[in-house]
Amino acid sequence: MKSPKELLHQFTEKLSQIKALEELETLEIGYLGRNGLINQQLKNIKEIEASERKTFGQEVNAFKQQVQDGLSSKRSEILKAKNNKKTIDTTLPATAYPKGSLHLVTYAIEEISNIFEKIGFIRMSYPEIEWEFFSFEALNMPSDHPARDDFETFFMDHTPHEEHGKMVLTPHTSSGQHREMRRLGKPPIRMINIAKTYRPNWDASHVPMFHQFEGLCVDKRINITHLKGTIDYFAKQFFGEDRETRLRPFHFQFTEPSFEVDITCDICQGTGKVNGEKCRLCKQGWLELGGTGMVHPNVLSAGGIDPDEYTGWAFGFGVERVMMMRPGVGLSNMRLLYDGDIRVLEQF
Amino acid sequence: MNIKITYDWLLEYLETDADPYEMQKYLSLSGPSIETVEKIGDDYVFDIEITSNRIDMASVFGVAQEAQAILPQFGKKAKLKFNPLETYTFDNLKAEPVPNHKLDVTIDDPELCTRFTAMVISAVEIKPSSEIIKKRLELSDIRSLNNVIDISNYLMLSLGQPTHMFDFDQIKGQKMILRKSKKGEKMTTLDGREFELPGDDIVIEDGSGRIIDLCGIMGGENSSITENTKNVLFFVQTYNKRNIRRTSMTTGQRTMAATYFEKGLDPERVESTFVYGIDLLLGATRGHASSELIDLYPHKREEKKVKVYLKDIHRVIGVTIDEKKVIAILEDLGFSVKRHENEELAYPDGVYFEVTVPTYRTDDVDIKEDIIEEVARVYGYYNLPNNISPLLYIKQPHEMEMLFKTISKTKHYLKNIGLHEFLNYSMVSKQLLENMGMDYKAHLRIANTISKEIEYMRRSLAPSLVKNIRDNIGKKDTMKLFEIAKIYTPREKDLPEEQYVLTVAVTTDFFDLKGILEGLFAELNIRNFSYNSKEFNLLSPNTSTAIMSDKKLVGRLGMLRHEFAESMDLSDEVYLAEIDFSFIVENYSVIAPFTDPITTAVIKLDATIDMTNNRYGEIEEKSHQSSKLLQKMEIIDRYKDNITIRFYFADASRNITEEDAKKQLDAIQKSIL
Repeated sequence: MKSPKELLHQFTEKLSQIKALEELETLEIGYLGRNGLINQQLKNIKEIEASERKTFGQEVNAFKQQVQDGLSSKRSEILKAKNNKKTIDTTLPATAYPKGSLHLVTYAIEEISNIFEKIGFIRMSYPEIEWEFFSFEALNMPSDHPARDDFETFFMDHTPHEEHGKMVLTPHTSSGQHREMRRLGKPPIRMINIAKTYRPNWDASHVPMFHQFEGLCVDKRINITHLKGTIDYFAKQFFGEDRETRLRPFHFQFTEPSFEVDITCDICQGTGKVNGEKCRLCKQGWLELGGTGMVHPNVLSAGGIDPDEYTGWAFGFGVERVMMMRPGVGLSNMRLLYDGDIRVLEQF
Repeated sequence: MNIKITYDWLLEYLETDADPYEMQKYLSLSGPSIETVEKIGDDYVFDIEITSNRIDMASVFGVAQEAQAILPQFGKKAKLKFNPLETYTFDNLKAEPVPNHKLDVTIDDPELCTRFTAMVISAVEIKPSSEIIKKRLELSDIRSLNNVIDISNYLMLSLGQPTHMFDFDQIKGQKMILRKSKKGEKMTTLDGREFELPGDDIVIEDGSGRIIDLCGIMGGENSSITENTKNVLFFVQTYNKRNIRRTSMTTGQRTMAATYFEKGLDPERVESTFVYGIDLLLGATRGHASSELIDLYPHKREEKKVKVYLKDIHRVIGVTIDEKKVIAILEDLGFSVKRHENEELAYPDGVYFEVTVPTYRTDDVDIKEDIIEEVARVYGYYNLPNNISPLLYIKQPHEMEMLFKTISKTKHYLKNIGLHEFLNYSMVSKQLLENMGMDYKAHLRIANTISKEIEYMRRSLAPSLVKNIRDNIGKKDTMKLFEIAKIYTPREKDLPEEQYVLTVAVTTDFFDLKGILEGLFAELNIRNFSYNSKEFNLLSPNTSTAIMSDKKLVGRLGMLRHEFAESMDLSDEVYLAEIDFSFIVENYSVIAPFTDPITTAVIKLDATIDMTNNRYGEIEEKSHQSSKLLQKMEIIDRYKDNITIRFYFADASRNITEEDAKKQLDAIQKSIL
């Protein structure tokens, strides 16, 4: 039997020869495995006189500790050497993964739907080609209203409906108001309708097709403070918590009272001044967001809802417009979204 | 519309301690929106937006009246110094006419002209206007011409009623016939523009049959005021707003007068404008009235009354406003208010107001909500709290939820694998349809389009995407685009069917496109589809296939026919796929059905097959039919007409041997031969 000192010497010798982790593994099994040297030593304990067993045991354990320490420091040494061996120029270009793009309007639609979903508004979809009745009469716009003439609305070359009049391309999303009232039969209504809308206007800053989103809320005891609060909620979610909104009197046929919503300008933080100069983006610190109002009693009646029992609010904003107003988007001309230039679209 | 007026001019009507900037801030919040204030010299110019229902407000007096109601809410003093509607009445007409001149007036149809007033002023002296009129007009962006024409413009901005001045001696026969024009009649307006009239325009013909006025829009050149004018016919009218708007829009003569008349003016205000106008004219021209006052006004406009309960005011606005304040607001705006109490209802529910609406608000104020709006806006929207609408659950129809969810999933997947989303107009040109071999007559057409480019409603997105590729030649090496949009299939007696489709267009190759679709279907766990050969008008016959699901055609993919590529000026191949989006929505599932992984032995065997008379799809189908143990097939090599396929065999219930697998492969090979 070799003395612990000799065993240690032998182990150190073997350890110093080792270069790879696999060899280290074999050595470890040879010493610390079930049939390894250490366990064999411990089996020999019976042959040792009782009085020396304690000392023997201590010596074997000390040896075991030394083996473990030796193995562990060798392992670190090998791994460290391995780490140092491989060098990468991390500034070289990466493997290219494809990067596609979505249209800006898609992002806007998803975000708007999410914001309203949180407060219980369901998204609906209604025809883009409508009868005049749904786009106008049902919205309190009589046949002589200027919005109904050839200069404001696209008419289809198609036989008119006996009751509902001519076929039009929806000039606004508000026809969805009447359709939603009819679908549900009675309030409560919480709807958001996002769709394509069309107007005969095509020049440097106008496009003949764009998107609107329409909100409609009808219930008992709905008043102006609800409209104000809901629009303020949307503005803060969509544009940022630091933005403020205000209502100004305006005129629309389908609402009474009617308002225009303004939001504080992000360029001048609502002050109307940038470095002492007049802010070029806004009017005195405010930007126009869109139109809104309390649903006109005639619109409720047309939808089969009693205006003495129920009240409601509605708004219709431009999707492209709100997206372009968002801080950081930096797109100033709506036409770019529809000119179909890949160099523009691939950036989104 | 926008008008420009000045602060100093406003102070002629209004006693106030509000400065121009305070006025801007406060009025914009509750009434007319003052978009800018510009200091010029010692005066301030307001640029004011007027909403289409408040044409009565589009004047210095109109804004002063609004200010009287609004400014006190902000602690500012504001009181009208005088009310021109009360001051300038026929009773106070300063002219004492010497009836030397006579004008014979015929109105063909009283519907065209609701009120007609006129008077001749003789021996006028044409010269520059007074400094104050000149300065105010110029600050308001109106060119000062001479003392007579300037008064016409000055009256329009002062009171919101356009007027006209004729050279009386140019009206042949001293005769006027106001009538509808016939289509194609010619006239020259005083700006020198020559017109062929669209027809049904309101015009005035003189005794010699010449048209001397395009009413409500612009006078004729033949009767306009010149430096030689001796006798002026002063002319104040209200017309049918629909005729004016139509004529102005079709002729493109968007004059300021037209923007007033087309909104419908109050015939009652004609009187004050007339009296104030005569006052100014006599003073400025040193002329004298030389005809009777002509005033044709068959249907006097009466004031109407609207009843509104206090509780309804509170219900709609959402806060309680003191009834005294309600009354004050309405009275300052020119309404008169009578308070009543309904004995059957408790206070304050029984309190109601009988509100008399001034004639200049007749078209605008009709129902209680209109009165509530007046109270609310002047009380101040900024004074109301913000409340989120009460929350409650409303069920979204399942098909809507699935539609939007699937569209979003699809778009994000295609984006993430490198495709670009395009959004095109729903309408295309006849030319584009023809270039793509489509029959334009089968498409819905816009009757009043503004451009040939946007005339027909799409029944396929392919033409737009092919055009996108063409328009981007040279901007990017390979193009991979998609669009999800509605197509419109006409129906004889109904609205068109609106149906979502997904269209993908690539300039790479067939298998890239097929891979995009199969990748999408895998992402959405759609398995219920197969390919089937079928010929399509749009696609080249030997490089295209139909996509079938439950024996129904749900899509197609392949190469755009060369003749269409040629007519679109495309020299490179374009591959297109069109998928009926309802197929995707109906077959989409969030999670794929789970199958236990095979843990028994898998034996792989390779076989090389001559493809001269074979199609891979058929081999695949036959292989699965003839071997129940076949799990998967993979092409591992191709050489000329030969392909090497690796077959994977396994039985989930036991370990198979190589012998077992070989038998399976034999069966497969026999079935292919």
